[in-house]
Amino acid sequence: MARIRRGFAAGLALLLGVLLPAAPAHAVVYVPISGAGSSWSGPAVYQWASNVKQYGMTVSYADTGSSDGRNRFKSGVVDYAVSEIPYGLTDGGVVDYPPTTKFSYMPIVAGGTSLMYNLRIGNNRVTNLRLSGEVIAKIFTGVITNWSDPAIRADNPRLNLPAREIVPVVRSDGSGTSAQFTMWLSKKYPNLWNDYCRKAGRTTPCGFTSNYPVVAGMGFTAQSGSNGVAGYVKQDGNVGTITYVEYSYAVNLNFPVAKVRNSKDYYVEPTASSVAVALVDAQINSDLTQKLDAVYDSTDKRAYPLSSYSYMIIPVDQVSGSFSLDKGRTLAAFAYYFLCEGQQQAESLGYSPLPVNLVKAGKAQVDRIPGAVPKAIDGRSCNNPTLSPDGSNALANKAPQPKECDFKGNDMCASGTGGARYNTPLLAAPTGSATTSPGASASPGTNTGTGTGTGTGTVVDPDTGQVIGTGGGASGGDVTATTVDLVAQDRSTRRTMLLLAAATLVALVLLPPLLARTLRNRRRL
Amino acid sequence: MTASTQVRPTAPDVAEQRRELALPGGADRVFRLVLRSMGAVVLAIMAVVGLFLAVRAGLALRKAGGDFLTTEAWEPDDENFGVAAVLIGTVLIALVAISLAVPLATGMALYISEYATGWRKRLLVTLVDLMAAVPSVVYGLWGVNFLQPHVVGLSRWLATYGSWIPLLEVDGYDPGDPLSPQTVFTSSTFIAGIVVALMVTPIISSIMREVFSQAPVGEREGAYALGGTRWGMIRTVVLPFGRGGMIGGTMLGLGRAMGETIAIYMIISPVFVIQPHILENGASSISSLIALKYGAAGKVGISALMAAGLTLFVVTLAVNFGASMIIARSRSGAQSEV
Repeated sequence: MARIRRGFAAGLALLLGVLLPAAPAHAVVYVPISGAGSSWSGPAVYQWASNVKQYGMTVSYADTGSSDGRNRFKSGVVDYAVSEIPYGLTDGGVVDYPPTTKFSYMPIVAGGTSLMYNLRIGNNRVTNLRLSGEVIAKIFTGVITNWSDPAIRADNPRLNLPAREIVPVVRSDGSGTSAQFTMWLSKKYPNLWNDYCRKAGRTTPCGFTSNYPVVAGMGFTAQSGSNGVAGYVKQDGNVGTITYVEYSYAVNLNFPVAKVRNSKDYYVEPTASSVAVALVDAQINSDLTQKLDAVYDSTDKRAYPLSSYSYMIIPVDQVSGSFSLDKGRTLAAFAYYFLCEGQQQAESLGYSPLPVNLVKAGKAQVDRIPGAVPKAIDGRSCNNPTLSPDGSNALANKAPQPKECDFKGNDMCASGTGGARYNTPLLAAPTGSATTSPGASASPGTNTGTGTGTGTGTVVDPDTGQVIGTGGGASGGDVTATTVDLVAQDRSTRRTMLLLAAATLVALVLLPPLLARTLRNRRRL
Repeated sequence: MTASTQVRPTAPDVAEQRRELALPGGADRVFRLVLRSMGAVVLAIMAVVGLFLAVRAGLALRKAGGDFLTTEAWEPDDENFGVAAVLIGTVLIALVAISLAVPLATGMALYISEYATGWRKRLLVTLVDLMAAVPSVVYGLWGVNFLQPHVVGLSRWLATYGSWIPLLEVDGYDPGDPLSPQTVFTSSTFIAGIVVALMVTPIISSIMREVFSQAPVGEREGAYALGGTRWGMIRTVVLPFGRGGMIGGTMLGLGRAMGETIAIYMIISPVFVIQPHILENGASSISSLIALKYGAAGKVGISALMAAGLTLFVVTLAVNFGASMIIARSRSGAQSEV
């Protein structure tokens, strides 16, 4: 009995312990704070802002782009900014000078810059596209312009890609996503990127840029905001488009994202765990900004190369301009919330939670906000998904190994990605039935070799000279015909019908009054 | 016609006489002073805006010189920028908007002022005013998410059968290729123009309605008395009487269409070459350029944007002055000629 009572008491104490630190939050009066910046992190910030309403905090946010956020913070119009890149970088020869007031960077969430696309084969949406880094670079510099390009076919051996034009969709506004993406382009594929930059009339070497250059006549489309590019790709008619956008946008719109090949030749999707794995290699500077070169070439086969952190820029140490201690208290309480509880939602929102070391480093910065009421965050009480006993990133540790069908070679997975988790019908494996079962090849190396040995003869139609099928066993398995929406077929008939319709319309409008007039004239005579 | 002069006593003349007779007292003087200073403030604000733009644009204008008006590029950081493309883009969007909005507004105004009566008239007037009150970002959202996918078919049709008109040509579109992407028709001058047309229609329509309703009763009655139908009356009395107002309203709409920002910003895919193909992906406008580039502009960039703003300011000012001159010279509101 005593034991039970003790247990109850302990439970009560624990309950109180959990409740009590939260209690002051109710007591404190918060003032509205406003921020602006990254649309890459927009969905996360909006979710957190709506979550803290229950504590009486009014946090507004405008996802007008990282560049705009940094500028507004610099001019003191907003209380905080969210940006993918720090101040002080040189973009197109222009240095983005930091504000004169004291500020600090605080990582808020990790995520993968994904390649969302709209592609159909016949009536089926492609959900399992795979792209290598070089192909991505070539697409976004206008070198590869068709989906049936041999390089894309090589990445997707079991998709019968249509001969459609590729329409790269880029950001038209100053954007941190563009900055992250072009940083990767300029570091990994400097030649392609500089050639493209030169065409756009910029001085080279180009480096990263927040304003993606667009060359007229190359088939690119530019849209404003992450919602703009994602919404554009999503439109039913815009088949053949591809854009770079944060993973959560694709998930929310139920669209697939391309699996990107990493340095271990696996095609990886930007899930929370693959982003966490990649960012283990991120080099964190003393001011908490990131250096991602090692992330691009992460040697882990589970890593997604285009992973990065996003930052909140917060005023620290001193009150200046329109900022006040009250605002500081609210901002700090908001920051404590999303560093701790907010991270639990990161994965479901399409992001990856911050590792514990960055949560702690971020908390140290939040403590410096003027007016902050310091709150104990040790990661344990937060249920941070990355927390592990030995201090390493638990999410990265338990990240699943990529499937063998995701390895470079003749096979590919049928399963969908992003927000489109349904299978795409695949062509039969090109040659040799043994390769169809991915489990059969334990070491990735053998997978590529099997194709050459079997030597099955292709069957050619004697009349047309077209390949009608390979002799690869499975009967009817590799019919590669693709239905196409034949809008333009039978044009002469359509034209005649349209001309007839137009003539009828004109007659309908003109004839009655003319007739009436003639009749009247005749009567008058 | 004599009937109308009897029905309508010469009210303005009476007012004029009374004003002449009244001695300017203290209260009158103060009132006049207040009104005058208010008028002056409006002028002063306009002047300050223009001056501010001119001063801030100085840096960019000195760097670009005369090329500012002829360069088709916007890379201010590389000192290669000019408004040739964006200015023409602005005018094209405005023209598309006006050519769609004017027939629509004329029809709306004529129906409301001449045909509709009672609750129908009141409802329509409210609806048109409501249309003017819808924020442009809403039009933009609607245009991008709803209108665009639906208009693409029309664009395609126009491009297929009207490509012999240079304006309707679309590069990179082959009507015979079923796999050719629809994207060449999205984010175009045409779609932006349609959305802007819907935004300027209410303004044009209310001005026209106002002018049409002022068409003198005497002349209307006269037209009917001569055996005219309602359409005959409209054609011979209302439209000639309202011509000045129609032109003025159109030009006010044009001025607004050129300044429209956020809806265009959301729809177009900006290009910085002169793009005369209105159906083709890629358009530009000064105000959306400013909205797009302001966030990430450097020192020269900001100055260049100010210079672009100055160009737009001057052009819109010219259009609006033109409009007000035409309205002032028209017969609208004048007495009926006997």
